[in-house]
Amino acid sequence: MQNTGFYALISSGGIDAIKTIIMLAIACVLLYLAIVKKFEPLLLLPIAFGMLLSNLPMIKDSSAIMMHTEFFTDPEYMTDGKYINVGYICQHGGLLDLLYLGVKLGIYPPLIFVGIGCMTDFGPLIANPKSILLGAAAQFGVFFTFIGALVLSALVPSIYFGIKEAASIGIIGGADGPTAIYVTKTLAPSLLPAIAVAAYSYMALIPVIQPPIMKLMTRKKDRMIVMEQLRPVSKTEKIIFPIVVTIVVGLIIPDAVALVGCLMLGNLLKESGVADRLANMAQNELMNIVTLFLGVTVGATATASSFLSAQTIGIVVLGLVAFCFSTAGGLFLGNIMCWLTKGKVNPLIGSAGVSAVPMAARVSQTVGQKENPSNFLLMHAMGPNVAGVIGSAVAAGVFLAMFSNI
Amino acid sequence: MYSQELITGNGLTLSEALRMGGITTLTGLSIVFAVLVILMIVLMLFKVIFYKDPKKQAVKEAKLVSLEAGVDGPTAIYVTEGTEAPDDIDENELIAVLTAAVAASLNTSTYNLRIKSYRRTDNKMPAWNKAGVTETINNRF
Repeated sequence: MQNTGFYALISSGGIDAIKTIIMLAIACVLLYLAIVKKFEPLLLLPIAFGMLLSNLPMIKDSSAIMMHTEFFTDPEYMTDGKYINVGYICQHGGLLDLLYLGVKLGIYPPLIFVGIGCMTDFGPLIANPKSILLGAAAQFGVFFTFIGALVLSALVPSIYFGIKEAASIGIIGGADGPTAIYVTKTLAPSLLPAIAVAAYSYMALIPVIQPPIMKLMTRKKDRMIVMEQLRPVSKTEKIIFPIVVTIVVGLIIPDAVALVGCLMLGNLLKESGVADRLANMAQNELMNIVTLFLGVTVGATATASSFLSAQTIGIVVLGLVAFCFSTAGGLFLGNIMCWLTKGKVNPLIGSAGVSAVPMAARVSQTVGQKENPSNFLLMHAMGPNVAGVIGSAVAAGVFLAMFSNI
Repeated sequence: MYSQELITGNGLTLSEALRMGGITTLTGLSIVFAVLVILMIVLMLFKVIFYKDPKKQAVKEAKLVSLEAGVDGPTAIYVTEGTEAPDDIDENELIAVLTAAVAASLNTSTYNLRIKSYRRTDNKMPAWNKAGVTETINNRF
């Protein structure tokens, strides 16, 4: 009788019991969004179910507990009070604890990047190198939100965001789930569930968030611009590109190499054409397995104590600010490029600089086509879009280089 | 290097938050732009090193496709393509494909046809076709 969840729920006392019920309700709402509304279901569904699993009421120290978040955050369980004790986790941890090691040790996000690299075609970017700047401009939201988080922390008494937390929240504006998780697990592990949920939810909402900003920031005349066809890109260029990018990024920001290097490894597997088996494996089996592990364990870290707080609300609001300003940053530079080239660049492709591939590029295409039905911006928008992936990984590297050792 | 208030966020003042945010934004955005500008320059070099302008070649090749069908006599055919053929595709292959396509549509043998030349024409995609492409793209949201 004392082993049942009912007993655990009742014995945990009033407020804790209510918190548990709220967490289970949130998990069910997220499951609804994933299954019925199809919000990034491949990630949101595992995240929501992980949340459900780890919030089931359990007796303290029960062997049935699948996730012990305290092993990763409470100094009492750590070696020297700051390093996670892998041996202890292996002996006493549940299934999700063991899988969470992949997040905590920074294994899953780079592996997902290998898969993404295999699925990415950098051709449009190579054909139109200037579009890479739009991918940089769209990182404006990342840094703007960094300021926003610090300001919020200074103004609202119950919210404490230090520079590490602010950096993790800002990176939501990169619109890149694995990058956000990679930065957050290093800088602010306690915010991981809220940031992951915010990042993936807003990525799913890109077709709703972006179009009003795009219409607001561009003129109808410019939205109708038809761009020149892209030049063909040879296989040699596509093979050399990932190698050169890895070297350049590695020389300037070594902290970004874990992400950019893996992205380029995946891309080289595909473009070289000599490792098709590996490329197929990376973009299908590997990516699917890692996505499942990542989603379930990140969801499982969302316990009532870490998730039900004023900070989570702050993160949800700041996440939206980050997305809006990243879109605005890309559009701003898009407008400048349109003006400098005397109307050869359609500013709508700027908003695709946020990295959510290929969603953001499709939004540019759709908005452009509403103004001019014969206009096909998709390939032009893919350039800034894949540049955004590189840009947000570089921004992540900048934050890691600045703040990971303090 | 960083004050305790900046690290924990506890007791942070507005001016300090703005100062730190400003410095980080300036350095961060400059580094991001620097890296991507370097990559842009590298990509521009790619164009110089690897790319042969097809316009110069196209001038030589801009001719009509004509064919000699055994019964019908010479007929001019305009071949329309959505994308330009990359340089590394063998022209013989392209001609073989064109011959086969024309032969199939005229219900004759490839032996009765001779492709003399071919040329790209403007994209004259029918409205229904365009609508279909648009719908397919929109469906993927």
